[in-house]
Amino acid sequence: MTLALETQQVVKRFGGLTAVNHVDLQVDEKQIASVIGPNGAGKTTYFNCVTGFYTPDEGDILYYGKSLVGLSVDRIAGLGIARTYQNIRLFPAMTAIENILVGHHPRMKSNWIGSVLRTKATVEEERVSTQRATELLNFVGLKGKGDHAARNLPYGDQRRLEIARALANEPKLLLLDEPTAGMNPNETAILTAFIRQLRDELALTILLIEHDMRVVMTISDQVTVLDYGTKIAEGSPTEVQKNPAVIEAYLGKPMEEAVV
Amino acid sequence: MRDSIVKGLQSGLLFAGVLIVIHLIGFSTIVISVLSATIFFALWCGIAVARRDPSLSNVVTKTVSAGLLGGVMVGLFAFLVTHAQAAGTNLRDELAALSPDAVSQISFGQGDVLAFVFNLLLFAGITIAGGIVWQIFESRGGAAAVTGQTRRLSGAVTSSGQWHWITTTSLGRVVGYGLIAILFLVLPLVIPGTLSYYTVSSVLIYVLMALGLNIVVGLAGLLDLGYVVFFAIGAYTAALLTAPAPHNLLWNYWVTIPIGVALAATIGVTLGVPVLRLRGDYLAIVTLGFGEAIQVLMKSDALTAFSNGPKGVSAIGQPMLFGQLFNSPFDFVIISAIGVAIVIFLTTRLQNSRVGRAWVAIREDETVAQAMGINTLYYKLLAFGIGASFAGLGGLLYASRNQFIGPEDNTLLVSINILSIVIVGGMGSIPGVIVGAFVLKGIPEILRDLENFRILIFAALLVLMMIWRPQGIVPSARRRLEMSHDEADADQEPESPPDAYQPSANKGVAK
Repeated sequence: MTLALETQQVVKRFGGLTAVNHVDLQVDEKQIASVIGPNGAGKTTYFNCVTGFYTPDEGDILYYGKSLVGLSVDRIAGLGIARTYQNIRLFPAMTAIENILVGHHPRMKSNWIGSVLRTKATVEEERVSTQRATELLNFVGLKGKGDHAARNLPYGDQRRLEIARALANEPKLLLLDEPTAGMNPNETAILTAFIRQLRDELALTILLIEHDMRVVMTISDQVTVLDYGTKIAEGSPTEVQKNPAVIEAYLGKPMEEAVV
Repeated sequence: MRDSIVKGLQSGLLFAGVLIVIHLIGFSTIVISVLSATIFFALWCGIAVARRDPSLSNVVTKTVSAGLLGGVMVGLFAFLVTHAQAAGTNLRDELAALSPDAVSQISFGQGDVLAFVFNLLLFAGITIAGGIVWQIFESRGGAAAVTGQTRRLSGAVTSSGQWHWITTTSLGRVVGYGLIAILFLVLPLVIPGTLSYYTVSSVLIYVLMALGLNIVVGLAGLLDLGYVVFFAIGAYTAALLTAPAPHNLLWNYWVTIPIGVALAATIGVTLGVPVLRLRGDYLAIVTLGFGEAIQVLMKSDALTAFSNGPKGVSAIGQPMLFGQLFNSPFDFVIISAIGVAIVIFLTTRLQNSRVGRAWVAIREDETVAQAMGINTLYYKLLAFGIGASFAGLGGLLYASRNQFIGPEDNTLLVSINILSIVIVGGMGSIPGVIVGAFVLKGIPEILRDLENFRILIFAALLVLMMIWRPQGIVPSARRRLEMSHDEADADQEPESPPDAYQPSANKGVAK
């Protein structure tokens, strides 16, 4: 097995607060790994360290053996790491298809001179990319909605569009930050199946932050639990579920309350 | 039905309003003719309400309501000025452009009642006929309810109609803009009326610069309040290289054009490297500072030997063509029109490319744009550099046409005027920016006799404009897309949770 992502003793501090405290994590290629933890546990901060929004104060982040620390956000995206956001962050005034095309940006080569002169290569690239974007649109179930402004799509469609935009990067590693937030059980079930389909059909490695325990327990190959920035448990979903430290920190005494 | 009437009335109000402003400025009576201005705006009004509407009956309803309201407004205006003129009021006391000759043009040489009827019939007739003809034209081309632009993007719908290329291809748009330009330049020659190419060239230089700024502000979303810097660089390049004083270099004017443009672009990029790391308000404040600095610098003693200081540079070189001076106002109209054509070409080509999408993405959400793999600094510099080069070109033309450039020509007000043109016209919209330049360059002229209140009223108009029509006079296709769907999908409007999470703002600060 190849390691897609490995973080070694990553630390991120904000003033006196240590948001991420010596976190080790290893994700094998083509696995679905979940990061869970109570609110404020440092999950999103950890994501931001991996994607380059934050530079870790200590430790190293290796992507297929290559260090990401110190690289700019756009370079990291160019290496094939794509993400979605906890609060949907589409480009609201752009159409659905344009959003996906922006996601495809790092895989395109045309520059401004080519666009102005409309060279053969540029026109061809634009045609292929648009076709590819339309396929992705259909793949996430938004067929025929390409011309809608992103902000006018219903909530569930926006979530899917954000995933399509991330997929347009042709990533090897996909980071999903609470993809089922705000969804009803039915939509959640569909999305869960969809995430698994992504891994199976596109051979992606997926790192997931999720609050919905049903989702985490059904699709994860491995679960990591953070609490106050520290990793308190790790293992298969069943192992984590039985871990007393996790139950105490996160799941709480009456299980039902934590399960949404 | 009701919606169609409301849409029609709105368009009628807008286009008739613009036409009346054009009359008040004197642009229609002095520069082109009242008849050609009326035909132009009525036709545009009809096409604007008719386009992209597949239903003929809707189009009839819309054009009739637009034509009638617009016609009544224009007619009433003609009635009032004709009546006042006949009653012996000297309109020029308050409204400088309404000379007796202008009024007789507006009334078509008739009395007040007939002036009303003539204007009403002309505006309404052309609006209705133009709209209906356009609808038939377009429906034969197989137009659906999507814009050519988005249709092309998704590639989902292909049209086989013979006329459809006018709205869908860039060649079609070039032809469209070309026709509008020819209409503007040729109509006044065919239809009698006096002509001031000097005014046209002034407006065109502003159109040129506003379209350049439109790339920076409208597409890439970078609020640049120091645009005048690049205008000054262009103007002084022409001045210092061609004028007898202070350096007596006497270069050929044409040679200074590429030099000035390249210099403006280079300085734009150089200033941009540190400045464009800032966002939003901070960027605006820093560019504002640069704008002020250039004026102070040009006035300062330190640079007097170099740039003639507060006296300015005069006797600037003029373009020559085949051994002849090419310096009449009409010649400058041609040169500026070529500049305008280049910037329109560049904007339309870039707008829907990888580059244009990167710009819009940066405007929409810079943090996420970067996370999509866009090198934000590079694309911001590119927009800044292209915008700067067109300001430079504007400066080069301005200096040569006026034969003078001094520090007073490079004030903050230039930056603000150009920015207002972009915002009032419609950010990101090429026709919008062009209309904005005509309207905004004109309003201060109408109000000339109110002297001290001029800028105050101008400002009040801008504020009212932002309240009533924030998307601009002629909004861009993208803005229109947003607005139209807002109405249709209001019930589906997603709840957007407050954006508590702003990682970029923490970067650096948190260390």
